[in-house]
Amino acid sequence: MSGSDGTGEATYCKNSVMPLSALRRPDLGVLLGIGLTFFTLGVTVNVLVLERTGSELRTVVAALVVNAATTELAYLAVRDAGGGLLAGLIAGWVVATRFGLLAAGLGARISVGRWHRVAAGLQSFDPNVGIAVQERHPRDVIRVFWWVTLMMHVGWISGTLVGVFLGNVIGDADRLGLDAVFPALLLAVIANLLRRRDGLAAAMAGAIVCAALIPVSPAGVPIILSLVGVLAALVVPEPAA
Amino acid sequence: MTWLVIVLLAAGVWSQRLLGMFAGGLLLDRVPLFARLATLIPAAVVGAVIIQLTVADGRSLTLDARAAGMLVAGVLVWRRAPVIVVVVAAAVVTALLRV
Repeated sequence: MSGSDGTGEATYCKNSVMPLSALRRPDLGVLLGIGLTFFTLGVTVNVLVLERTGSELRTVVAALVVNAATTELAYLAVRDAGGGLLAGLIAGWVVATRFGLLAAGLGARISVGRWHRVAAGLQSFDPNVGIAVQERHPRDVIRVFWWVTLMMHVGWISGTLVGVFLGNVIGDADRLGLDAVFPALLLAVIANLLRRRDGLAAAMAGAIVCAALIPVSPAGVPIILSLVGVLAALVVPEPAA
Repeated sequence: MTWLVIVLLAAGVWSQRLLGMFAGGLLLDRVPLFARLATLIPAAVVGAVIIQLTVADGRSLTLDARAAGMLVAGVLVWRRAPVIVVVVAAAVVTALLRV
């Protein structure tokens, strides 16, 4: 992944006008993995949404406008279980809380204008924020963020169109192991954070809190409360700069 | 999912993302510690999302084919395998255990 070698840092110091080749972007393999994963997600999620929505147009618009697959799935899960409109909406909003937390993490690491901040905030997801915050310089954080975001959307939009218009050729997504694709991607993209002792402590504590709460709290809440994992990480020494 | 539901879901998602983004910027100015927290928040939240997608079955915990797929993914990540290899291996192992 790009942020680990430090060569770009020297480039910034030397050049006031940066050549295009110096623009930080994640390794091509990382970007392809992200594109493939979001293509898979786009197909599998939108096959489910189309089944319940019954409208190709609304399924595609929801994929683009709600811009949060877990929110759509949480809403549909509650409605499937017989829950009312408000209960479904609340479930969708609650699971989106993590995007607010991720946006806060990104927001504290970038130095950009107000409208750029609005655009970045609206695109805050797990993989792009997870990778971007591993960069040291604010300029690198925002550049890597947009590279990953671009690949996520290429995968998500193409996957959505395939899922909506060709979904019946995919068959049972779970039988193909596609439900393991997203967690595996997330593990891979936070790998560098996990190699820091404080990052590993935060991730482990967040995971333990979440797992402990899953059986006893409503959907979405375990993820929100996993935030206390950060406190566990604060007792671990910060890595040397 | 009606048009109204799409608009309401989007409004909830958009507002939380914007609130987080601007709160993050403000906190950084006032609380220096937040710069470090900002890097650790995604680690905690993503760690939780990973475990939920791996062991949750509704509101119960279960170890099934996904966990085996993620175990292989974990070893590959530890061995610094390319992301695409990690993702494909997790899916293949999970699928094979379901045959």
